Amino acid sequence: MIGLLKGMATTMKHALDGKTFTVKYPETAPEVSPRFRGVHKFSQERCIWCRQCENVCPNDTIQIVMDDQRNGEQYNLHIGQCIYCRLCEEVCPVDAILLTQNFEFTADTKDEFVYNKEQLKNVPWYKGIDPLNSRNPDRGAWIGEGDGEVDYQ
Amino acid sequence: MVGPLQSEVVLFPERIANLLGLSGTLGEIVGALIGAFIVGNIMLAMTGVAGPWAKRKITAAFTDRIAVDRIGPFGLLTIVTDSVRLLSKELIIPEGADRPSYDIAPLILPASALLGFSVIPMGSGIQLADPEAGLALVFAFASIASISLVMGGYASNNKYSLMGGLRAVAQNIAYEIPLIVTAMSVVVFAGSLQMSTIVAEQTSTLVSLGGISIPAWYAFVNPFAFVLFLVANMAEIGRNPFDIPEAPTEIVAGYQTEYSSVYFVLFYLGEFLHVFLGGAIMATIFLGGPAGPILPGFVWFVIKIWAFFLFTQWCRSALPRVRIDQLIEIGWKGMLVLSFANLVLTAIIVGVIA
Amino acid sequence: MSVELPDTTGVAEQSPEEIADLLGDLVIGREEHLNAPGFVIKPDTVVETLKRLRDDAGFDHLSCVTAQEYEDRFESIYHLTKFDDRTQEVSIVVPADKENPVSQSANEVFRTADWHEREAYDLVGINYDEHPDHRRILLPETWQGHPLGKDYDQDQPQVVPLREHQNPLLEDQQADNQSETMYLNIGPHHPATHGVLHIKAVLDGEQVVDLEPDIGYLHRCEEQMCQSSTYRYQIMPYPDRWDYISAGLLNEWAYARVAEDMADIEVPEYAQIIRTMGAELCRMAAHFLALGTFALDIYGDFTALFMYSIRDREKVQNILEDLTGQRLMFNYFRLGGVVWDLPEPREDFFENVRDFLDELPTALEEYHDMMTSNEILQMRTVGTGVLPPEVAKSYGATGPVARGSGVDYDLRRDDPYGYYENLDWDVVTEDGCDNYSRLLVRMREVEQSAKIVEQCIDLLEDWPEDERNIQANVPRTIKPDDDTEIYRAVEGAKGELGIYMRADGTEKPARFKIRSPCFSNLQTLPEMSNGEYVPDAIASLGSLDIVLGEVDR
Repeated sequence: MIGLLKGMATTMKHALDGKTFTVKYPETAPEVSPRFRGVHKFSQERCIWCRQCENVCPNDTIQIVMDDQRNGEQYNLHIGQCIYCRLCEEVCPVDAILLTQNFEFTADTKDEFVYNKEQLKNVPWYKGIDPLNSRNPDRGAWIGEGDGEVDYQ
Repeated sequence: MVGPLQSEVVLFPERIANLLGLSGTLGEIVGALIGAFIVGNIMLAMTGVAGPWAKRKITAAFTDRIAVDRIGPFGLLTIVTDSVRLLSKELIIPEGADRPSYDIAPLILPASALLGFSVIPMGSGIQLADPEAGLALVFAFASIASISLVMGGYASNNKYSLMGGLRAVAQNIAYEIPLIVTAMSVVVFAGSLQMSTIVAEQTSTLVSLGGISIPAWYAFVNPFAFVLFLVANMAEIGRNPFDIPEAPTEIVAGYQTEYSSVYFVLFYLGEFLHVFLGGAIMATIFLGGPAGPILPGFVWFVIKIWAFFLFTQWCRSALPRVRIDQLIEIGWKGMLVLSFANLVLTAIIVGVIA
Repeated sequence: MSVELPDTTGVAEQSPEEIADLLGDLVIGREEHLNAPGFVIKPDTVVETLKRLRDDAGFDHLSCVTAQEYEDRFESIYHLTKFDDRTQEVSIVVPADKENPVSQSANEVFRTADWHEREAYDLVGINYDEHPDHRRILLPETWQGHPLGKDYDQDQPQVVPLREHQNPLLEDQQADNQSETMYLNIGPHHPATHGVLHIKAVLDGEQVVDLEPDIGYLHRCEEQMCQSSTYRYQIMPYPDRWDYISAGLLNEWAYARVAEDMADIEVPEYAQIIRTMGAELCRMAAHFLALGTFALDIYGDFTALFMYSIRDREKVQNILEDLTGQRLMFNYFRLGGVVWDLPEPREDFFENVRDFLDELPTALEEYHDMMTSNEILQMRTVGTGVLPPEVAKSYGATGPVARGSGVDYDLRRDDPYGYYENLDWDVVTEDGCDNYSRLLVRMREVEQSAKIVEQCIDLLEDWPEDERNIQANVPRTIKPDDDTEIYRAVEGAKGELGIYMRADGTEKPARFKIRSPCFSNLQTLPEMSNGEYVPDAIASLGSLDIVLGEVDR
């Protein structure tokens, strides 16, 4: 009986202290960490069309179309299919693709989640956070020259 | 103990008839209809507040959440939108459902609860009827509910529903007897089954502590019976820790698994009405009915039944559900014995004092 | 300051030669796997070999059964180890004929072989002789072909309607109306199945007579996906999605460990500490959710306890978000280390973690007030869902389920990896074997994890600034030698999470097999619930703490 009463006392304590741990979204927008990975932002000015992001992407989310002079034409990214692993940002030598903190995106159909390079460029910074300032991609480790067999492709 | 004071209670239908200037049979009929209409609607309105809104808010408070706050002040208009939502849903009737009983079951549940309110004295002169056997009558009405549950469970043509219906019957039988036997101990005190008498008996002062007189509510006179009745009542209305006829994580939703739309609303409504009826019975026979200082009687009555509702929600937030066999065991081996012991004890005390 | 090592004095240690002597002429060949010696045996001597190894050499834990197809043969590998000494391993390799792959079932020796062999049959297509229940397990019964087999045609229709598939000679198997029992489908959509699990239950009144979990609703070809990804980067995001209940880093570690051992990569100590801390935070988050959902099963929906445990899990997730950048699908580990150092400013991060750890005892006190000391909960859980230790071992149950049955087995201590052996913590066991014990084990493990995290924080705080090496030098492309085979496991949130990999000289694994702890644990459900009431069967399921994403993969 004491155990039951202890349990009831605990919940009553929570009811009376008036504190809540949920927030009124969207009035109170959640704080996201500077490292958080949301929708991508793409910069055509920076991109050198090296296709490394396309190669590293685990589930073929990124599609790059180039003409026969190897000039970039299209850069499509299916943000509904993306698993937000950030490998593309990590591999990019010129920071042309970044994952913003923006996690709020909606669409009526799945097809609308295929963003082309214009749409990717227009993805807003979430609360004005530029991830490059807070996130320091560890390039040294990526390009690393190990003791083992090094294979620069 | 004081003898029964047969104060001439003017019943609610009579007052309405007098107000309208009608007399005789016509007055009785019109008064009764209008009275029943008012009482029924008050109860339904309370349920409407409790179901879609208060329950969510209370649960949220216990679990540190905010809950409904989007529509209207404090989310109160959720009641309206939720009603519209529920009523506009498609009514899905499972294949092979036993039609007449499938349709009747959701009607019986709220009806049985509403009937029960007819003999409850709600203070401020609101009492529809005051028969000699009022207490027996209210239990009789309340226990019609289990018929509805077993009908719904059986007619749904669903194994989960069937199990829920059977559980409901087993539970109701096991707890009805201790419930009524415990209530009888109150009758031994009051010497009457009449609701108004039981309430009147509780107005006398039990003890005076520093100028504050504590009334002779039976909850104070016999706390043991009060606790017993509280537990049996929780089981009777099927709330935690005795909510096994529904037991969402075990048998989906028990007897109401297959019900949707209006039928679901009726079941839901009926359950809440039964919670309030349970609270009303508790208030009447243990908590002095509508008695209380300063505020009018009806307000006190409402406060008391809402307190009971709050208590059920509180239990729900903190107490685990017992298993069906444990429930039956507690009912037959524990509650029944204790309630008879309580009855005998009460009889001896009353006999010695009187 | 180190974890107390298990008493292995009673466990004889066998050299590969001794095992070869023990098996005698059963052995027809030898293989060398990176983790253990491999003995090739004939397909019709599986039972005899495993029995000899179990009874005479003490290899009582069939950790995993891997099946694969080569150009010229099929092969089943039985990964055996000991509950008393995890470091001793042996692989029994059973080749089977290419044209007519038949192999003897190990079900007689280890009950856990039942499901593992069904999976091997389902995905690879090896037939197991004398198997009591030779059916598909993950894919629907009407599936055509075996997807991990070499000749599988992905373009053909994969599922046919049941009426085309059914044997026309089979008689209608409807139970006669006179039977005393009731057949009940629990799930795949049911409030208490923790995902899309289907339980076929036969009830006598409210009591369970027979019960059979039907899995595969969440099968996502995780093994095949890993086989078509590169070792270096592409596999790492996927382990997060096996056990997706906050246990991401623990799963990533399983892959990191197996790949690092295969490619012979040394992880810097500093990175090991960060990994240990992150993994234990994940374990806490996963256990919080396990407690919360177990409460849902026992208390009913909207119990306050669920919300309180979610609240505490959120705190852990906030910390993990600061560290890794995601709340669930972390992708934080890399081969040779981790991707990021602790977030700057480091002081704030340490403070956040410490604040959480300081509040934890109060939160746990609340859990104890509401759960373990609650009389009704004790009534419901003590003595129900009993899983005796011997049965647990035979089914290959691991993690909190085994430890709740008194099996003192924890890979963090028994097969040390990461930084665990340098830290001071205990393996929690309870002897009750029932639902209550499993609940207690999880609650006490949260305390132990907190202890580990605290020590990691202290170490990280004092680590010299110029030695904060988070990644080893790892070549950009990893191509292990052809036919390198390895099986390694870590202690995931639910138990022993093992991975078998075989390299074929390319940068992608030729076979990637996941040994999921939930898969083996779920197999014990019928043992626990037969004869119990339906509510207790539900509670037992809750106490197993399965994640269907990991069961079905």
